[in-house]
Amino acid sequence: MSSVTYILDNGGYMAKVGLSSDTPKLVPNCIMKAKSERRRPFVGKQIDECRDASGLFYILPFQKGYLINWDIQKTVWDYILSKECCPANLSQMPTIVTEPLFNFPSIQEAMTEIFFEEYECQSLLRINATGLSCYNYRHKNPNTKCCLIVDSGYSYTHVVPYVNGVKIKEAIRRIDVGGKLLTNHLKEIISYRQLHVMDETYVVNQAKEDSCFVSQDFYKDMEEAKLNLENNTIARDYVLPDYTTLRRGFLRKPEVSGEQQTLRLNNERFAIPEILFHPSDVGIQQMGIPEAIVNSVKACNEETWPHLYMNIVLTGGNAKFPGYKDRILKEVRSLCSSEFIVNITLPDDPITYAWEGGKAISKDPVFSNMVVTREEYEEEGQALCYERFDV
Amino acid sequence: MAARESGRIKDANQKRVLDDAARKRRQRKALEALEEDNFHDDPHADLVMSKKVPKFQETLDSRGVGRKKKTKSAEYYKQRFRKTFSQLVEEDHNYNPTPPNYMSAQSQPSQFPDRHFCTVCGFPSNYTCIPCGARYCCIKCLGTHLDTRCLKWTA
Repeated sequence: MSSVTYILDNGGYMAKVGLSSDTPKLVPNCIMKAKSERRRPFVGKQIDECRDASGLFYILPFQKGYLINWDIQKTVWDYILSKECCPANLSQMPTIVTEPLFNFPSIQEAMTEIFFEEYECQSLLRINATGLSCYNYRHKNPNTKCCLIVDSGYSYTHVVPYVNGVKIKEAIRRIDVGGKLLTNHLKEIISYRQLHVMDETYVVNQAKEDSCFVSQDFYKDMEEAKLNLENNTIARDYVLPDYTTLRRGFLRKPEVSGEQQTLRLNNERFAIPEILFHPSDVGIQQMGIPEAIVNSVKACNEETWPHLYMNIVLTGGNAKFPGYKDRILKEVRSLCSSEFIVNITLPDDPITYAWEGGKAISKDPVFSNMVVTREEYEEEGQALCYERFDV
Repeated sequence: MAARESGRIKDANQKRVLDDAARKRRQRKALEALEEDNFHDDPHADLVMSKKVPKFQETLDSRGVGRKKKTKSAEYYKQRFRKTFSQLVEEDHNYNPTPPNYMSAQSQPSQFPDRHFCTVCGFPSNYTCIPCGARYCCIKCLGTHLDTRCLKWTA
């Protein structure tokens, strides 16, 4: 078996891809169309070549976190495997590809088929991204038996407890709030309050990434946001990109603006990420992240509780909001019994944490027993994949 | 002399008030909007692809010549695995009805009470619009709400 592995963490918005000997590349897992360039759709990273990203139109392979549009996914995968992006001959090396929790059987079968029959994989491991994160965490902390992964991505947020590397399926909790919903909500309120930006998902998403933070004391920050501009430390202007002199917007102190077009962001800056903690703020009747963590832990065997609280790991793009970790720590601390020690880990890069886990797992001696080889697939078909891959 | 009466109560009967079903419908629509990938239409929808323009499905044989197997087109996989999200959920529900599954993993309603924010300015709100049930925080915001959203685009 060759020493490198092809690792594809196939996210609903961003694919994290690369050889295990290398660092991961972030590739948008979608096709985008721009108003400015009429002739060409942009696949994956090609969007970097687009001069004017206003009014981008997205075509995504994923819906609600599951792979639905196969023609789009196939086009993006072809692009990812091409010379332009991250070329590899999959028939010469093992492949790790991630899939969502509770992935539907027909999607699993379709993925297996495409990888073995279309890309002629030498061997394949299908695994949950949270499983790779868990492996990564235990690899770095070899004495831990349990961990609780909180993966908050584009489509939704999952809380997944792992005991001895095995996920406790009954205790998995899904919150239907992800980055997409946050961006759409921000878009909606900006469009109502100041400027019509409903067509500007791409720009508003960047505005969200650049401006939003998780409040540590929500009502106190609300009071602060009510103050007039001189005393208000929250209100900021977000300078919008014009795609001639400015390619990406930025945040600055409020001032009487000159030529640039700006958005005044005030309570929006922390009310948006707040939806992760109170989905009911937009009418989704589900628990927020800290409550779901406690609820999930309680669904596990009681003797694992102290270990799970000690080893909470935050992954996914939403973990990059400033204050995210502190707020979760604060709330979990106040919701669970004082006898437990709560310890939360926020990786340096929560987005590629699962990919790095894939890198570590590919070097594990047992890795070759986890994969299904092409010979085995040709012999035993999908049945073996169901048996070996636990998703 | 006319009997004293409250102007507010007198007017209240004349106002159209949305019933629960209509409010729920509005709420559901708002949530669906939050799941949308795009708000606008495909900017290339009216574009007639000329033959000279390479279509993005076309694979420019990047994997060398002399390959025996022809790669299947994206369209092939679209047809082959065509299933909508709701079909998949239903199929899963029939095939695997006992938890844990996709449906059972959804987190339960919170034990904490809902918080209320002004639909106009986003600050905490104490009042509810009588006709449509939206929240507002002050007379100024109520005015904006009545002028722009209340009972407009009623589903």
